[in-house]
Amino acid sequence: MGLLTGLKVLEIGEHISAPYAAANFVRLGAEVVKIETARGDVSRGYGPYPNARRDKEQSALFLAHNHGKKSILLDLNTSAGQGNLKAMIPHFDLVVENQKLGFFNDRSLGFDEVNTINPSLIWVSILPFGETGPYSNYLADDLILFHMSGNAHGMIGPVEDPNLEPPIRAGGYQSHMVAGLTASTAAMIANYRRLNTGEGCRIVVSELNAMITMAISGIANTAFDHPPPTRQLSKVEGSSIGGMVSAIGGVLKCNDGYVAISPREDAQWERWLEILGNPSWSKDEKFISREGRQNNVSELWDRLTEWSSPKSKFDIAKWGQEKRIPCFPVNTIQDLLVDEHLEAREFFVEIAHTKAGNLLHPGLAYKLSNAELPKGMISAPELGQHTEEILGRYAKNE
Amino acid sequence: MRKMSNLPLSGLRILDFSWIIAGPTAARHLALMGAEVIKIGSSRRPDPSARGAPFQVYNQSKEYCALNLSTSEGLDIAKELVSTSDVVIENFAAGVFERIGLDYQTLKNLRPDVIMVSSAGTGHTGPDKDYVAYGSLLQHYTGWNTISGYGDGEPIKGGLWADPWVGMELAMVTVAAINHRMQTGKGQYIDFSMAESLTASIPSSLLGYQMTNSLPVPSGNEDPINSPHGLYKCQGQDEWIAISIQNATQWESLCGTIGKKEMSLDTRLSSPEKRRNHSSEIDTVITAFTSGLSAHKAMEILQDNDIPAGPSINIAQVYEDPHTIGSGYLTPQTYPNGVTRLMPGMPWTSNLENSFHLEAAPEIGASNLRIYKELIGISSKDYETYLENQIIY
Repeated sequence: MGLLTGLKVLEIGEHISAPYAAANFVRLGAEVVKIETARGDVSRGYGPYPNARRDKEQSALFLAHNHGKKSILLDLNTSAGQGNLKAMIPHFDLVVENQKLGFFNDRSLGFDEVNTINPSLIWVSILPFGETGPYSNYLADDLILFHMSGNAHGMIGPVEDPNLEPPIRAGGYQSHMVAGLTASTAAMIANYRRLNTGEGCRIVVSELNAMITMAISGIANTAFDHPPPTRQLSKVEGSSIGGMVSAIGGVLKCNDGYVAISPREDAQWERWLEILGNPSWSKDEKFISREGRQNNVSELWDRLTEWSSPKSKFDIAKWGQEKRIPCFPVNTIQDLLVDEHLEAREFFVEIAHTKAGNLLHPGLAYKLSNAELPKGMISAPELGQHTEEILGRYAKNE
Repeated sequence: MRKMSNLPLSGLRILDFSWIIAGPTAARHLALMGAEVIKIGSSRRPDPSARGAPFQVYNQSKEYCALNLSTSEGLDIAKELVSTSDVVIENFAAGVFERIGLDYQTLKNLRPDVIMVSSAGTGHTGPDKDYVAYGSLLQHYTGWNTISGYGDGEPIKGGLWADPWVGMELAMVTVAAINHRMQTGKGQYIDFSMAESLTASIPSSLLGYQMTNSLPVPSGNEDPINSPHGLYKCQGQDEWIAISIQNATQWESLCGTIGKKEMSLDTRLSSPEKRRNHSSEIDTVITAFTSGLSAHKAMEILQDNDIPAGPSINIAQVYEDPHTIGSGYLTPQTYPNGVTRLMPGMPWTSNLENSFHLEAAPEIGASNLRIYKELIGISSKDYETYLENQIIY
């Protein structure tokens, strides 16, 4: 059994944040019923798809976050749908949703109503800006949340002209992933309280504030009066640029991609030079100290790149780690799927899908001594696949 | 002094041996939610993060005791603390905590239902378990950077949220394990891999590659579905606004708002795909509108017309943004020296009477007396000896 075996979760979510939060519970053993409208979760329409053929049952974005769930069709705009939801509420411990602000209140399904039906129910809402503060009615998506959170200004590193080269967001809809993970954490905490007191509660996760929490070091620096890092290359001083273009470390070109290295301490630098065969340039006064290396950083990286370019990222990473220097290949998705370490830890879990075939899904990031890991998981449900089963079980009147 | 009786995690005691970012951040979240978190550190090997301001958020609301674990007396005190704690968190390199003498079996003998959370770069098993890792390198190793940036460019250089992400997931699984213990009576050893945590956060890229056999191409601010979708220059140095049009209504509203109503009738631009093919033409028109406005003003006008938009700001601007305070995320925190600063809470609100417990991060040793004398009953005489011999140190 998993950590959450026995926990019953209702997901009224789509796209990424709420489905990902519920997916965390699935992987820990909870039973998750997902409510969809006839259109289906929008992520069914996003792909990518096998053979580039659009099919709402085979979208990678949908399959990634919905395996192991049961899907039921329920139109919450009708009184029948609302009635069925109310009939189900007493049988669940936790609801996670990411509908628009006011959606449930407008349909007489607000927390006060459901709390009357099930006083121990935990209701977790995910909203772009939360429900308090001046922007709570504003619209947003990953792009906007990412840029408003302060994370984008450090992403690509410093640029020649910040007025010509805009900040960028990361890939993978990270704002929604972060919001989903944050909602999972909040739900676990509320569930602890529920197990102790028998009481439910309502939690509202702000996606923006969740993303700002990922930049919490920067918040602390600002609170203590430190200026933010500059985006202008000519104004960069010292080693304060995310640690990745300086004497502290960086990324070197190789014949098969890139390798990330960080021989930041003097002792690490000396061991690094052994790997390079103690080249004569390294004896130059200007490269002896970390400060000197920082002051001559572009020449330094030119020298290192000259050495690394004809070599493999995997070899360099191995040589570095053998000498206890933090050093990793910049892995592509393909590299990850065949990584020996991840394989030894049985990180990926193969899940068979009736249409898309067998796919390797990322499993749990941890091994547990006293609970089972997700093996033999079932794939994502077809739209409405479990409507009869679930409504038959919980809403027999309908 | 501690006012947490009504908070969700009140009653839990967490022993936090972790340092730097990820582990302390996880324990921080639990402390804010009401757990009693006792951080253990030593002046012999100080927490490297204590040199900077971020320490002040990673360690909010904690107790902080000094303990020299390299001595047998120090180890005995640690064991005494373990026997009275629900959770033990550590994030040393794989094997270090075991060599100190605090392996899971030992902990379990002291407290059979203890939950031990061990976080390391690549986990505690497997051929690469001893790899030396920093969060900034792990983001390259785990695939994060292969999906970020521009398709034709070199990997991004900036730091992402590797450690804070791990901190949040550590907090999640720790409380899940506590829930499990409440229902089964069983403790847990959690062997956590930071690398796996990061790789697990890009599942759609992993599945998409297996379906299509082509590697994901990072595309900066662009989107495979929506258009227009990007950053537009505003008035002022490095001022930009993000705009994302998600449906036909928003497109029509955007055209009207920027004074180009006729554009919404242009059949050449009637779908996201078509608009993407004419993106430079559209971007020029949008920029003509935004470039005369501050990013905040542009947001206000666009949002008032139901168009998703927001400024791209740096962390200092985030700190000063009206919503950061208005939403309740930053609240005033008074430090022992009398200075008040706005400090972060949790990224959620609730209908509970007490949402979270906020106290300034302590200095090392601040809770020595309370924990060592009051909690585990070390006598005054022994306490003095331990101080003198640099065991409580």
